[in-house]
Amino acid sequence: MGVAEVLLIIGCAALVIGVIAASIVRKAKGKTSCDCGGNCAHCAGCSHIKK
Amino acid sequence: MKKFALAGNPNCGKTTLFNSLTGSTAHVGNWPGVTVDKREGVYKKTPEHVAIVDLPGIYSLSPYTPEEVIARNFILDEKPDCVINIVDATNLERNLYLTTQVMEIDVPVVVALNMMDAVEKNGDAIDAKELEKRLGVPVVKISALKGVGLDELMQRAYDFSSQERKGATVLKDSALAHLIGDVKIALDGQDVANPLFHAVKLVEQDSIEVEMHKDTVKMVEEFKATFSDDVFGDDFEALVADARYKYISKNFAPVLKRREEDKFVSTKSDKADKVLTHKIWGIPIFLVILFAIFHLTFSEDFLYLGAIFHLPSLEDLGLLDADGEFLNFGVKLLACVYDGAVFSPGVIINKLWNEILVGELFGWLGGLVEGSGMEAWAVGLINNGIFEGLAAVLSFLPQILVLFLFFSILEDSGYMARIAFILDRMFRKFGLSGRSFMPMIMGFGCSIPAMINTRTLADEKERTATVRVIPFFSCGAKLPILTAVAGAIVVWTGAGNADLITFSMYLLGIVSAILAVLLMRNTTLRGDTPPFIMELPAYHAPQFKNLMIHLWDKAKHFVKKAFTIILASTIIIWLFSHFSFAWKFLEDEEIDQSILAQISMFLQPLFTPLGFGSQLGANGWVFVVAAIAGLIAKENVIATFSTLAACLIAGGAISGAGLEVEAEDGIDAVRAMIDATGIGVPGLIAFIAFNMTTIPCFAAVATAKAELGTKKAFNNTLLFWVAASYVIASAVYTIGAFPWTIALWVVAVAAVVVCIVLRNKNLAKKGA
Repeated sequence: MGVAEVLLIIGCAALVIGVIAASIVRKAKGKTSCDCGGNCAHCAGCSHIKK
Repeated sequence: MKKFALAGNPNCGKTTLFNSLTGSTAHVGNWPGVTVDKREGVYKKTPEHVAIVDLPGIYSLSPYTPEEVIARNFILDEKPDCVINIVDATNLERNLYLTTQVMEIDVPVVVALNMMDAVEKNGDAIDAKELEKRLGVPVVKISALKGVGLDELMQRAYDFSSQERKGATVLKDSALAHLIGDVKIALDGQDVANPLFHAVKLVEQDSIEVEMHKDTVKMVEEFKATFSDDVFGDDFEALVADARYKYISKNFAPVLKRREEDKFVSTKSDKADKVLTHKIWGIPIFLVILFAIFHLTFSEDFLYLGAIFHLPSLEDLGLLDADGEFLNFGVKLLACVYDGAVFSPGVIINKLWNEILVGELFGWLGGLVEGSGMEAWAVGLINNGIFEGLAAVLSFLPQILVLFLFFSILEDSGYMARIAFILDRMFRKFGLSGRSFMPMIMGFGCSIPAMINTRTLADEKERTATVRVIPFFSCGAKLPILTAVAGAIVVWTGAGNADLITFSMYLLGIVSAILAVLLMRNTTLRGDTPPFIMELPAYHAPQFKNLMIHLWDKAKHFVKKAFTIILASTIIIWLFSHFSFAWKFLEDEEIDQSILAQISMFLQPLFTPLGFGSQLGANGWVFVVAAIAGLIAKENVIATFSTLAACLIAGGAISGAGLEVEAEDGIDAVRAMIDATGIGVPGLIAFIAFNMTTIPCFAAVATAKAELGTKKAFNNTLLFWVAASYVIASAVYTIGAFPWTIALWVVAVAAVVVCIVLRNKNLAKKGA
């Protein structure tokens, strides 16, 4: 296995772990994924979980 | 930092003003109830930056629905430095009703007369200075849409926010003035903030106030026992409302000078409504408009000109070489617009995107990877796992945007609100009001904001029923499933048109939702249908900026999702399709021994009644994986198809199909799987129906859990989604594959209806 293959594995693992971790953090913050426009900075639509 | 709240009636332009002041891109729609939660932004042109809070629209400060509670609580509890009360100047009297209530709170209030451009266009005029004198608070004329008067509004609000203001009421001449005064004195003695506001609400016997001031409410009850009005009896809420309107009519309304005082002028909106909201033609017109949208987005035969005039294909014209390839780049471009028929705009944009951009890009990247000298598994992971999955999802972006452009035009023009109005009559028969249609139509975009929007429904049972059927309204994420499967059916059978299939599937979703509501409202969620009163906004030309904001947000989010959740999912799918339970790496030709295949094969019989189970043979497990992957995000369904189809082709499992799955097209991936499994059209349609009606994505499930409140309601909802999708998909499959089974379904439905009717009669008897 060469450097490229090792980097590929690390990259894929980082992406998968990153996506899972980000979704856990978002959920902890009371937010969730949403297609409502994605303008989360101004949208309290997702923070309803906190209430 | 100072904090200003924007308060006003629904659809008076609060969010448009909020966007103009803060540079935000919050969703704006031309119908009441778009905003159901508060959101914040910052205005930077005043000497000190000001936080602007956009509140949900409310007609009064006596809350009936959850979003009205949010607005009321913010003004009372968060104590903003100023409340900017946005008044729709085209409906002055009715909007000032809320103003009279806001003014009872001890907070600086500035009135913004919005939509003054529309007032002036009608030839009417409002004397803002006179209104300011009569109200006793600053009044500024603005047009949020055109950005007129906004700096003056903010400057006056900024200046006024430094002053202390005590609440004032217009009820000082009403029959209840003394009682309000006495209650206010009592509340003053208890050091209650905003005593005038609370006193008036207590006299109205507002449920929240009665709960908060149990001792003081006795004063009201004692007074009530000795009081009776000639018209309203002892209904104090009605008495107060009547007194407010009388005061507004007498003292504030005269500031409006109409062009023609005594003559009712029929506006263009009124004329359009005579046709579009017609009691007979309203619904057919809606269906025609909806079909036109699907035709313009998905049809490969624009206006059916190809079928009507038997237009020649590119091959007939001799523009392809002996291998069936395009003669030159010009022909390749032409093929994006015409091939035996002129394509619809949505298809043209999609073909240009896929042929010229995505196809070339991923083809070039794939070639680079293949020539890189990496090991075969790494090349497979990148090309078959990552690129195929990504390209399949991204290939549908243009069509999704075209479809949402049309939906945004309908929404921004004001037509969506009319649909709620014309559907109210029909919905009412099924136990829902037209109001619940607005969240449902939002479900065409995404189930999550749609479920949140159900807060505008006051009746809890109606709300639960609406949340449950929202996923039936196919969201943007399900479009790739619809488009890919419909496209594959058309390519495979050589008959039909993708627009007809996608339109039919949307209708199937709507009809399923109506039937499901009918069932719920007659069984577990029985109750009266609440009355539906909705202000129909004036039609206006859609704002280019708003449309572009909608599309930009949609595209941004879609691409972001493709490169995060979808990409991660395709990597996981590829990983579990290339390792066995013994954690041994499997080549492409061995993936039927993979963890993914083994689990899916175990579950496959469950899907047999739905047409994509055991009857599909060796490679049928791919359909099961795709359906399950869709629970994470619906785009995953087609990404999974593409990844696994590419692996199966690379492994030679479906080499006999004679197909080559191209990286740029999810349709080919589905077509390859059709050939590999032998699934028929009924099974494919059932597959779409299942994905449209089953448990939505994880994010939507989490939202439903939060919105439904109780664990029992949530668990029942999950059960409902599983059962509904299973029944609907199996009905679609069995009727399509074995038409005689329609008789069995009719009998089954009739038996259910009879049981429900008998049960309800029995319950009614017991109740009587």
